[in-house]
Amino acid sequence: MLLEVRDLHVEFVTRDGVAKAVNGVSYAVGEGETLAVLGESGSGKSVTAQAVMGILDTPPGRIGAGEILFQGRDLLKLKEEERRRIRGARMAMIFQDALSALNPVLSVGDQLGEMFVVHRGMSKKDARARAVELMDRVRIPGAAQRVRDYPHQFSGGMRQRIMIAMALALEPALVIADEPTTALDVTVQAQVMDLLAELQREFHMGLILITHDLGVVADVADRIAVMYAGRIVESAPVHDIYKAPAHPYTRGLLDSIPRLDQKGQELYAIKGLPPNLMNIPPGCAFNPRCPMAQDVCRTDEPPLYEVDRHRGSACHFWRDCVNG
Amino acid sequence: MVEAIIEVDGLVKHYPLTQGVLFKKQVGAVKAVDGVDFVLNKGETLGIVGESGCGKSTVARMLVHLERPTAGLIKYKGEDITGLSGRALKAVRRNIQMVFQDPYTSLNPRMTVGDIIGEPYEIHPEAAPRGDRRRRVQDLLDVVGLNPEYVNRYPHQFSGGQRQRIGIARGLALRPEVIVADEPVSALDVSVQAQVINLLARLQKDFDLSYVFIAHDLSIVRHISDRVGVMYLGRIVETGRDEEIYDHPTHPYTQALLSAVPVPDPEAREHRERIILSGDVPSPTNVPSGCRFRTRCWKARERCALEVPLLAVPAVFRHVPGPAAHDSACHFAEETRVVPPEEPAGEAPDDLDEGGA
Repeated sequence: MLLEVRDLHVEFVTRDGVAKAVNGVSYAVGEGETLAVLGESGSGKSVTAQAVMGILDTPPGRIGAGEILFQGRDLLKLKEEERRRIRGARMAMIFQDALSALNPVLSVGDQLGEMFVVHRGMSKKDARARAVELMDRVRIPGAAQRVRDYPHQFSGGMRQRIMIAMALALEPALVIADEPTTALDVTVQAQVMDLLAELQREFHMGLILITHDLGVVADVADRIAVMYAGRIVESAPVHDIYKAPAHPYTRGLLDSIPRLDQKGQELYAIKGLPPNLMNIPPGCAFNPRCPMAQDVCRTDEPPLYEVDRHRGSACHFWRDCVNG
Repeated sequence: MVEAIIEVDGLVKHYPLTQGVLFKKQVGAVKAVDGVDFVLNKGETLGIVGESGCGKSTVARMLVHLERPTAGLIKYKGEDITGLSGRALKAVRRNIQMVFQDPYTSLNPRMTVGDIIGEPYEIHPEAAPRGDRRRRVQDLLDVVGLNPEYVNRYPHQFSGGQRQRIGIARGLALRPEVIVADEPVSALDVSVQAQVINLLARLQKDFDLSYVFIAHDLSIVRHISDRVGVMYLGRIVETGRDEEIYDHPTHPYTQALLSAVPVPDPEAREHRERIILSGDVPSPTNVPSGCRFRTRCWKARERCALEVPLLAVPAVFRHVPGPAAHDSACHFAEETRVVPPEEPAGEAPDDLDEGGA
């Protein structure tokens, strides 16, 4: 396995109390594989990724327990110095909002070139040449002229492609993309996802795609991990989960997508609201919103049951759920 | 009997670009909306879809008089309301209300929920006698599914979905006939979106409302709309009943837009044909001649640069009645099905049962 996260716990200490953002998350990504981490705001999907990248704000954040094994080494045991050498070179991140992730006062050429100067010790001139190559690679028209331009001079789609170029500059083994197309229009989103998939095939890298969009997941992912209130509630190969979800939350999300044959009818809606992370309900965190909840769900926290060799579900009644 | 409640005719909004400080001179214009026509019938939902910068929000703002059109007419029940001011405008405004996109910035954080929802009564005191307002506000909270006891709370005490309900309650306060909803669910989480869509659908029935529903999420627009207009760079390029647009699109932009939407079905991955458009939307300050989509269109020919295509039933379909015969502003309109037909509910009938429960 390229990356293995084991039983990760992250909490944030705030004035009002401790927010338990990640409560025992485990997942793994292999080389060339795409893992989609699906969840709503506050589900802990981004915080987990930040912990993997080592860019969590500490304090207020705190990694309580867990292991993050990257190419066999536990990143949490490394010194910051060693992590810095890995970050950017062997694992890289693509952020949602390219405009705020790029430095507004440096030209895109300088920012792309910096990767080569810092990690590879190249001269500025060589680094600039590599920057042009990269911009070409992500199909920025007129790369040689535009390398001196600043981020605000590019459109949203082009900025996101520059972010992708920067993430892939040093051919990392793992890329984490946090909602990479959420801020983009659909036609541009399709361009960007296409490019990302193409580059992933070419470099055979592992990709963690963090998203809330079930459509994007169906398009590109090999496996899905569904997160709710800081835990993985279901983990499965992409085809299985759309065919027969094994957790009522996943089922609820799939059912709330408007379908043609439901036009004019009421949409299925998951009742209630996601829980407050400072006060997660006892038992299964989803139980107050769950149509299948029984007494045991209010008292016993479900482990990730094995549905089959490739699937897990954190629902006491996953059998009923899979069978509809 | 179909009765038009709003008619929009040749609506234009240009924002001038000026140069110089003392002697300002106009050097160009941002053509945000550049000739839009549509009709909203009583009790129906007109969906307007398009990408950012296509002018859909500007259209919404003109409908509720937050922007004054540069040219064109907006008629409410047959009467031109574009040039109204003062008392006459106020009277019309009561009947056309807006629900905004962002429930975080569209509610004043220093006002209580009761004050926010009751504020329309301050502006239109004739709508409700002073002594009756608190009760009305509580009724409205109940109508949108919030606890009436929340009147004294502040917006920050609510989640995004609840705030959007507050925004909807405010929109309903004056009992309008038309609600213009500009991306009302796009800021919400997936599990909460469906709740708000259901609420809007229920309110439409209960209060006999007509909606202009603006969004970029094509599947939600399809679910709620009777008719759909597709906008590109300040103009409507195609319009028709929902199945005409979604199943029988004839404009290449609509086809590209529909094909680009990710389908939540991994089985569709292999046999789905996607049209990936090259490049970005041109700047509205410098709109291409002729057809404005031609710079990204794979079908563009010389004629497209010379002649502006009109929004009408294309000649090829004019004499063949059928779903392809609807308004489409393309010289080379062709019918192409881009979204694979959805399988009838056979595969997962259980889901539906549960959905209804």
